[in-house]
Amino acid sequence: MKLNIDGLLVYFPYDYIYPEQYSYMLELKRTLDAKGHGVLEMPSGTGKTISLLSLIVAYQKAYPLEVTKLVYCSRTVPEIEKVVEELRKLMDYYTKQTEAKNDFLALALSSRKNLCIHPEVSALRFGKEVDGKCHSLTASYIRAQHHSNPSQPVCQFYEEFDAVGRQVPIPPGIYNLDDLKDFGRRKGWCPYFLARYAILHANIVVYSYHYLLDPKIADLVSKELAKKSVVVFDEAHNIDNVCIDSMSVNITRRTLDRCQTNVETLQNTISRIKETDAAKLREEYSRLVEGLKEANVARETDMYLSNPVLPDEILQEAVPGSIRTAEHFVGFMKRFLEYLKARLRIHHVVQESAPQFLKDIYEKVCIDRKPLRFCAERLRSLLRTLEIADIADFSAITLISHFATLVSTYSKGFTIIIEPFEDRTPTIANPVLHFSCMDPSIAIKPVFGRFQSVIITSGTLSPLDIYPRILDFRPVTVASFTMTLARTCLCPLIVGRGNDQVAMTSKFETREDFAVIRNYGNLLLEMSAIVPDGIVAFFTSYIYMENIVASWYEQGILENIQRNKLIFIETQDAAETSMALEKYQEACENGRGAILLSVARGKVSEGIDFVHHYGRAVIMFGVPYVYTQSRILKARLEYLRDQFQIRENDFLTFDAMRHAAQCVGRAIRGKTDYGLMIFADKRYARADKRGKLPRWIQEHLTDGSLNLTIDETVQLGKHFLRQMAQPFRQEDQLGLSLLTLEQLQSEDMLQKIAQIAQQA
Amino acid sequence: MASLSEEVLLVVKRVRQRKQDGTLYLMAERIAWGPEGKDRFTVSHLYADIRCQKISPDGKAKIQLQLVLHTGESTTFHFSNESTALKDRDVAKELLQQLLPKFKKKANKELEEKNRMLQEDPVLFQLYKDLVVSQVISAEEFWANRLSLNSVEHSLSNNNKQEVGISAAFLADIRPQTDGCNGLRYNLTTDIIESIFRTYPTVKQKYAENVPHNMTEKEFWTRFFQSHYFHRDRINTGLQDIFSECAKEDEKGLKSMVTQGVKNPMVDLLSLEDKTLDEGYGTATVPTTSNSSNKSLRENSNSAIIKRFNHHSAMVLAAGLRKAEAPSDQASETSSTDGNSRDSDLFQPPLKKVKLQEAIEYDDLQGDSVRKTISLNLKKSDRYSHGPIPLQSQHYSTSQDIINSISIIQHEMRSYKPRLTQVMSSSAASSAITALSPGGVLMQGGGQQTINQLVPTDVQSELKHLYTAAGELLRHFWSCFPVSTPFLEEKLTGHLEEMLQAAYNKFQAWQTRRMMRKT
Repeated sequence: MKLNIDGLLVYFPYDYIYPEQYSYMLELKRTLDAKGHGVLEMPSGTGKTISLLSLIVAYQKAYPLEVTKLVYCSRTVPEIEKVVEELRKLMDYYTKQTEAKNDFLALALSSRKNLCIHPEVSALRFGKEVDGKCHSLTASYIRAQHHSNPSQPVCQFYEEFDAVGRQVPIPPGIYNLDDLKDFGRRKGWCPYFLARYAILHANIVVYSYHYLLDPKIADLVSKELAKKSVVVFDEAHNIDNVCIDSMSVNITRRTLDRCQTNVETLQNTISRIKETDAAKLREEYSRLVEGLKEANVARETDMYLSNPVLPDEILQEAVPGSIRTAEHFVGFMKRFLEYLKARLRIHHVVQESAPQFLKDIYEKVCIDRKPLRFCAERLRSLLRTLEIADIADFSAITLISHFATLVSTYSKGFTIIIEPFEDRTPTIANPVLHFSCMDPSIAIKPVFGRFQSVIITSGTLSPLDIYPRILDFRPVTVASFTMTLARTCLCPLIVGRGNDQVAMTSKFETREDFAVIRNYGNLLLEMSAIVPDGIVAFFTSYIYMENIVASWYEQGILENIQRNKLIFIETQDAAETSMALEKYQEACENGRGAILLSVARGKVSEGIDFVHHYGRAVIMFGVPYVYTQSRILKARLEYLRDQFQIRENDFLTFDAMRHAAQCVGRAIRGKTDYGLMIFADKRYARADKRGKLPRWIQEHLTDGSLNLTIDETVQLGKHFLRQMAQPFRQEDQLGLSLLTLEQLQSEDMLQKIAQIAQQA
Repeated sequence: MASLSEEVLLVVKRVRQRKQDGTLYLMAERIAWGPEGKDRFTVSHLYADIRCQKISPDGKAKIQLQLVLHTGESTTFHFSNESTALKDRDVAKELLQQLLPKFKKKANKELEEKNRMLQEDPVLFQLYKDLVVSQVISAEEFWANRLSLNSVEHSLSNNNKQEVGISAAFLADIRPQTDGCNGLRYNLTTDIIESIFRTYPTVKQKYAENVPHNMTEKEFWTRFFQSHYFHRDRINTGLQDIFSECAKEDEKGLKSMVTQGVKNPMVDLLSLEDKTLDEGYGTATVPTTSNSSNKSLRENSNSAIIKRFNHHSAMVLAAGLRKAEAPSDQASETSSTDGNSRDSDLFQPPLKKVKLQEAIEYDDLQGDSVRKTISLNLKKSDRYSHGPIPLQSQHYSTSQDIINSISIIQHEMRSYKPRLTQVMSSSAASSAITALSPGGVLMQGGGQQTINQLVPTDVQSELKHLYTAAGELLRHFWSCFPVSTPFLEEKLTGHLEEMLQAAYNKFQAWQTRRMMRKT
């Protein structure tokens, strides 16, 4: 249907629309008009993606000079592919309606592992291997060698692309990962480099967060994206952790040992080259004086994405003389390495700030701050000069050099923690140096600064005000949308007690309590008897799940559950879990029914949807607090309190509740879907926890279902499931939660719609 | 009636029946007895008809063997050879003991089948009552015709019999009970054994290898339950344990399952993440290198339990599916495309596409959502639309013809112009309409539809029964042609005629009774 969103003609590729989609588009339009940033929360399964795409594409078509590009960031590969498929649907609709030829170019970008078509390279299993192998076939000096020596293998796909591919633009259309591969195969071009090249002039780019947030990759991939782009972060409830992860470094003794061998290899290579080809090193030396200056010029003119590892300001200078020659640099790295080794030889925990660390390193081994800052850049140059094919082997020294650059660049927002052993095993020495980022706004700041509109959206962003605070930006719109429902298809229940009236909670003091474990077991057992098909249960941590499963086994609870359903359990091994997951779905599919025991914050809770019969009930055992004894977390909490005035408890609860909401939200993937959401912990009933759940869940949490016993839960659940199992037709929804164009235009409805969005 | 080809398994002389001396014959399919000096059997029972045998207790004067039939009748044989009576009886008993179970199953199945048919089909039941109970024809004859009719379908349904899955908790059903003197008793049933075998083929293999030769069945299961294989922490399986190999085998199976990966790209956690952080980056705790060594024993056993549950569930699921896979080759087209050749890149996209499409579909937003229907796959559509037609030189139109003619008609309709000069007068038209409306002159023929209202229902049903009974008899009658065997001839000339007569008489009686009542 064609919609009029605040004066903008929007093509929407469906005959019907949800009221909240309309409302969402209105808010989005306002954000784009204001050229500002937005935070929008809308439940999953209400067609968030298609609303976003429809509006932004329409905006792009209407104002091609205002918005030139849409950069859509999502989290997982399947999510990325889903977005592109939805886009394809939209574009098909456009061509059908306007009968004009599509002139839009949209494509997905992923790592080499997902895009490589080279027969040998693509056969490798791990992403790192693929990257390394690709590099050893496509590096510039390899190709130069190939010129003089044709027996040197190169990748013919890249050669082909390099020879022809850049001149011929990729024809307009929608390219998913597989389409890119097909196209690459047809033309004989490398799809990965083709995609990386094509994103510069594509109208829509869909890729993963890391390409924009991780400075190490962003520098390579996204630095030339235009300022007039709209950036969307979908499923953004975890974006702060992605930011922090991309800036943090851990160094173990093993890293240092491997780094040691790296340094030795470098030294040997340098002395060898010196004998044979001393000119090369001299050339590098002079390039270091001039080459970086050239890059500097380019950066100034184009307003490139700044690289936090190497910010703009220090590029004004050339590499300091002390590390300019190769031998000096290696000697420098050796000294740095010895210093780190000495720091790891400790028996008590040390925590210090970056300036403290720099002061100490200056006093002990006379390493200045300035050469440290150039470490990463200098190493990159050296590796290039020495023509080292397999970069993957040098991951340890690269890591150390990144650490050096980071620690000397940022004086705020980071902390260094050196732990001599793990907390759980105090007898085994396993020293780790954590260089941990505590401020997610550092990594995302360049994104907010550079692009005119950044939209942060997800199904669970509550409480909405916290994201602008921890990411340090000022949004123009902050809104939460509820799900309009013709029938209440979600049923959140808080179970606080067992039938024996013993309180159910995963609180640290009582979590090992026999009665609590038994009551949890009984809850699962009772539910397994009344819920059809699939049940997913989440535990607060992996260790907790292991313990509970073991004691359930001893008490015979699992045996009884097995009478009703098959049991599958998430393990720490991803391959094993994938298999369990597939078997779980199979068991749901063929009617046997199954239970999946899983972990909040685990891979399943983050990336897998349990639509329809794959998840008719989700049980959240306990409140998924993060492990609070971790020093890194404590440091971060302190930082949040000092810098952003966020109280520790507030943040912890916020973090726990967003994970709980993610877990239970896995089961509801649309208005025709239905499922029970069982929060099995009495602490959920408290206002401070409950209030942090997304609005669309809170709405259905009645006062009567705040502190139930297992029996009451079973009764309510039975009733709910029986009601939901009745046929649900489109007519039932029409006019309430599903609108035709005429219904949408009525004055009455527009008023109602205005209430859907709640401004925070 | 004894055909000579029958194999005689045992002959026992001097067996009395009804105070008459004679000989007892045990043959391949039946047991028979004939009086001395005559070559005819006066008693003959099919094994299938025998429900059980009973013997007189030891030490009783008369040494007897009694056969109880399914019908409730019984026949008693008295072994009267003084010196060997007991031995004779035991030999006969032993042989019967072996023979009877073989036939029992068949007999029971047949009986069950008959019972089922009667229960499911009320018309048949009525027919049975009319014909058999009123002794128009014998039960045997009634069924002889029926069962053969159903045999094809019957065997089909037998083959397709739904495989019963395995309860996931079958091991839990074997509750050990203490037997009071420091031991445990496990109660195994054939069902449980079957479940164990189907779920763990390695155990079955072990069983086949060991059981009759190396150990008794009982010993095998004792060892099974003692084995750590059965117990939860399978870490310390001793080497002398025959099941340690099974555990290893299972481990291997699990590994291969894992390395095989998953077919559905949407649940593949390995390729979920687009760009994982390199080792050393991130805040997540670094996976310790010496993972297994610093884990406590308890943690190890815990993760072993988890592994086992996953494995167990997967095996149970697989056992249920193993049989079902064969016939569903075309039913699930998607599953066949993803096949085993998942290594070749060519096969993956279709399934992936399907899954992606499924994931982005909003069926309620779509307009008139097209119902998913099963498309009819016709090799020759003409045949379908015209049905089987006797081969005559009859001209029928092909669908092309029909399409052509439709298009011609459509064309004509488009260019149709009413010739207003030649229309009927309005009075003639209205009279024609009244004549054709209900109650009009031409609509008088509606009388016969009320006949089922005129006749009371009980009369109707009685008539119906008579009709079906007569029909059944006629069917018997016609099934005798062509008369190829003397048996059929006898049937035709002999009692079938009587039967028809009886049926006719019955009808007559009913008719007169009705007439009587009417007058």
